[in-house]
Amino acid sequence: MSRRPTAVVTLALALAAGAALAAPVLAAKPAKAKSPAIPARPEALTFGALRFEVPEAARLRHELPGGVVVYVVEDHALPLVKLQATFRTGAFREPAGKTGLAALTASLLRKGGTRGLTPEEFDEKADFLAAQIGSTAADVRATATLDVITPALGEGLDLFFEMLREPRFDERRLEIEKGILLEQMKQRNDDAGAIVAREWTFLMRGETHFASRQMTRADLEAIGRDDLVAFHRDTYGAENLVLAVSGDVDTASILADLGRRLAGFRAAGAPPAWPPAGPEHTLQPGLYHVEKEIPQGKVRIGHLGSQWRDWSDPEMYALMVANDILGGGGFTSRLTQRIRSDEGLAYGAGSGYGIGTFWPGIFQMGFDSKNPTVAYASVIALEELDRIRREPPTAEELRVSKASFVDTFPRSFESPTQIARTFANDQVIGRAPDYWVRYRERIGAVTAEQVRTVAEKYLRPDELVMLVVGKWEEIGPGDADGRASMQQLFGGRVEHLPPRDPLTLQPAR
Amino acid sequence: MRDAARRRTRRLAGALLLAAGFGLAPVPAETPRAEVPVQEFTLDNGMKFLLVPRPEQATVMGGWVAKVGSANERPGITGVAHFFEHMMFKGSRVIGTTNAARDAQIIAEQEALQEQIRALYAVQRQRYRRGEIDDPFDPAARPRELVDLESRFQTLVEEQRQLMVKDEFDRIYTEAGASGLNATTNWDSTIYFITVPANKLELWFWMESERLLQPVFREFYAERDVVQEERRLRVDSTPTGPFDEQLNAMFWTSHPYKWDTIGWMSDLRMLSLADAEDFFSTFYAPNNLTAALVGNFDPAQVRQLAERYFGRIPRGKKPVPDVVTLEVPQLAEKRMNAECDCQPQLAVQFHTAPFQHKDSYVLDIVEGLLNGETGRLRKRLVLDSQIAAAASSSQQSWRYNGFFSLSAETKGDATPADLEAALWAEIERLRDEPVPAEELAKVNNQIAATSFRNLESPFFLLLQLLFYEGWGDWSYLNTWSEQTLAVTAEDVQRVARKYFTPENRTVATYLRKAGSAAEPVPAELADLPGPLQQQVMGQIRQIRQSTDAERLEQMLGQLAAQRSQLPPEFQQIVDVVEREVRERLETLARAAEEGQP
Repeated sequence: MSRRPTAVVTLALALAAGAALAAPVLAAKPAKAKSPAIPARPEALTFGALRFEVPEAARLRHELPGGVVVYVVEDHALPLVKLQATFRTGAFREPAGKTGLAALTASLLRKGGTRGLTPEEFDEKADFLAAQIGSTAADVRATATLDVITPALGEGLDLFFEMLREPRFDERRLEIEKGILLEQMKQRNDDAGAIVAREWTFLMRGETHFASRQMTRADLEAIGRDDLVAFHRDTYGAENLVLAVSGDVDTASILADLGRRLAGFRAAGAPPAWPPAGPEHTLQPGLYHVEKEIPQGKVRIGHLGSQWRDWSDPEMYALMVANDILGGGGFTSRLTQRIRSDEGLAYGAGSGYGIGTFWPGIFQMGFDSKNPTVAYASVIALEELDRIRREPPTAEELRVSKASFVDTFPRSFESPTQIARTFANDQVIGRAPDYWVRYRERIGAVTAEQVRTVAEKYLRPDELVMLVVGKWEEIGPGDADGRASMQQLFGGRVEHLPPRDPLTLQPAR
Repeated sequence: MRDAARRRTRRLAGALLLAAGFGLAPVPAETPRAEVPVQEFTLDNGMKFLLVPRPEQATVMGGWVAKVGSANERPGITGVAHFFEHMMFKGSRVIGTTNAARDAQIIAEQEALQEQIRALYAVQRQRYRRGEIDDPFDPAARPRELVDLESRFQTLVEEQRQLMVKDEFDRIYTEAGASGLNATTNWDSTIYFITVPANKLELWFWMESERLLQPVFREFYAERDVVQEERRLRVDSTPTGPFDEQLNAMFWTSHPYKWDTIGWMSDLRMLSLADAEDFFSTFYAPNNLTAALVGNFDPAQVRQLAERYFGRIPRGKKPVPDVVTLEVPQLAEKRMNAECDCQPQLAVQFHTAPFQHKDSYVLDIVEGLLNGETGRLRKRLVLDSQIAAAASSSQQSWRYNGFFSLSAETKGDATPADLEAALWAEIERLRDEPVPAEELAKVNNQIAATSFRNLESPFFLLLQLLFYEGWGDWSYLNTWSEQTLAVTAEDVQRVARKYFTPENRTVATYLRKAGSAAEPVPAELADLPGPLQQQVMGQIRQIRQSTDAERLEQMLGQLAAQRSQLPPEFQQIVDVVEREVRERLETLARAAEEGQP
């Protein structure tokens, strides 16, 4: 191999994106070298201000002829381009009895070839170009991505749009993928973590809504190639598409290219009802258990969370801070400090307060603890839930939490890809860019009393559901030192959920 | 500067894709590569710094690697490298307590009690060896003296808590807007990292040098419990974790890679503060550390700060000991047959070459040939013969040794034996046939693209620098693609023949544990009471595995005889069992016709 000098890619070039990528500016000079004494405590250090302006969404936003919104963030540091296409389709558009059709359609879109290329030819071409092409579907959106080196951009776009517009849905590939899905279904009860995730979602949202239901063997067998063809034909089209482009592109030329490639791409089906309807499950408070022969119980405790009604609602920001102090903030949160750091009862312990866009999120506290100490750790979690509802946080807790939200904020816009995709996501869910501009100020306005008030209002001990997966024989009695047993929780009542058949998800005996 | 660099980038990527344009020609051997300009300097005490300025960022990602991992442990203290990593977040003389003097006294008193506790556990182990108790750590089997000691210890913990400033190390960073404070330990290195706002860079220097200069390992025993929970989480409560751990222990004969970084549970129960302090003084000397910063900073200022803050830490008194044990060559195949709540699967693993060994680059190419959407494994096992739901390979070249593994999960009626035969056929193909030029070009294109993608995320860039430094040389980041693109088809054949031999392999098969839920239960049995269903399923399982046609024929006779004696509600059980026997007999008959065993 020749040893001639090699090219060096200089990385620090993102400013080429111009004003679009608002660069932070160090306003003050760093600490002077003249004062070499190291202070005894870090509080004595002084820092310059960090100015960070949110990138202006409007300057990155473009509309193609026909109305497709595209966010473009140029970045020429590396010869790489990323494209993300988000369609307003997904599980919410599946017909009855065909759960999983959206995901399978998205998967075969990528794996099933195109009108002009067999699956093998398509894969060979993509791999030879080192192009990464993906396609997935979730509850209310389907996402396709392209990641390609600049010189292969044209060929990469050819493949990508041929895939989106003229998929083959090759019958043999469909059968192979269905067989793989069946094997994955068989593993549904193998990992305790998967059992917890499934049963918790079912307890919170029921088993029938598209946000929680899961494919069974019957669904899988009912889905044929025609279903995929119809789902794609009816729900994929430029009229429900949002694009995000980032990397080594020229804005004007990529827009022209995309406009050309999307001309005449329309879904055959009527536009879906929007916003989509949420689950209508009535939660049944209480303690639930699923048996699993493992040394550690996996625990969730919680109830439904909230839905954004209005992104200017101060209560939502106070709730974010309340959750951060309770269990969202890692080592500065109460659940981690008490369950992990004080007592050594779990590796991870924390909480999340879900604020959903189209329906309520989920509030949950969670940890994994050896079977005999599940009860003791649960007692601590419930004590902390009670405390955050009763007492306002300390001034220090409030200060640390708010500072963390405000000062980590620039990380939301760390890379060109993140910027483009954040704004594209806002477009999809209908959130005004104003949200980001005012975010820090709204967090800054949260008071200690507000935190207590929203905690009392939105955390509801009467509605709590607790789920534990583990070995009940060891969990029930509690620890040898008698610190707590499951008898003292939920009035000593527990519902032992029967294991489910992994293929039908019906309770097995 | 910016434009020049951009032109170069274009040109090199153009060269890269020429191959794709023509569809046949391999990538030219002198294809240039992506390279990160790294500024490097070393302090007088031996601590090395690597700087990658990225002025477009609002942050600095900072980290450092201690070139020590679980390979530096010995039996009895397995897990200490990782546990010690946890202790590095517990503060210092200044951070974490309101009364450093009393705090130190309490720790000494706690340690004296723990010495006595450890002595009692020696007795418990003796009782366990003699069969007097089933578990030396059973809380119910604790002698009264032990319970008393533990309760006295707890009193000290509570006194210490009154003086403590809880998790202050974390709180200071969090309040400053830093995020992602964490660390990771592997067999060869321990890596600590965080992201700080660009204006708070000096805080990073203060905090990181503080915990190296005067750490205090308070809350040692609560944290030891946390690490045990981490082990239960990552290993003991996962479907294949405990088996994977034993596979690794079987794979290595002499080298300390044989125990997992998390450590054996018995050792985690016994680790002492003295073990941790000893570990720190031996391996955390600045001459065994490298720091890296990626982000928005002035390199000249960083150099001043590094000298001021880290320069005050004295060089280690003794040289850092090397791992002297070499892995002995494997003489014969090793095999493990496991049963778990898992998809039936197979893993085949070979001893290979360590980090920066010339063969390691060839093995990267082998991995590229085998993996991916158009890789040989997916083609043969998943798409063509359809015996696997997934198949992949993994190439690992670590500091002291390397290994290459192939794994696959069954689909349908296929067995791990079927997977093994198919994987072995791919191994033989690598040994027997030169790689076609176009296929090698495809892998080369992917290597070249990967070398750019590796530089995209500043955090990933930081981790790569620290990992490679932990293995011995950060500059691997900049030389890897060049070395790998130079690999030839002959190299692939040579390396495959050298390492992929029967006597150098370790094979693990995993079968689904009998009675676990994924087994298809015939519909007629679905409504039977649980224990009876299990009993019938046990019998069906034996039938499905039987190769003895004569015995099966006998069973048919027995079933006919039993039928008349059973109450009507059990008739359908007989139907099901009889059907299973007949199906098995047909399968055996077909196999006999096709001349298979």
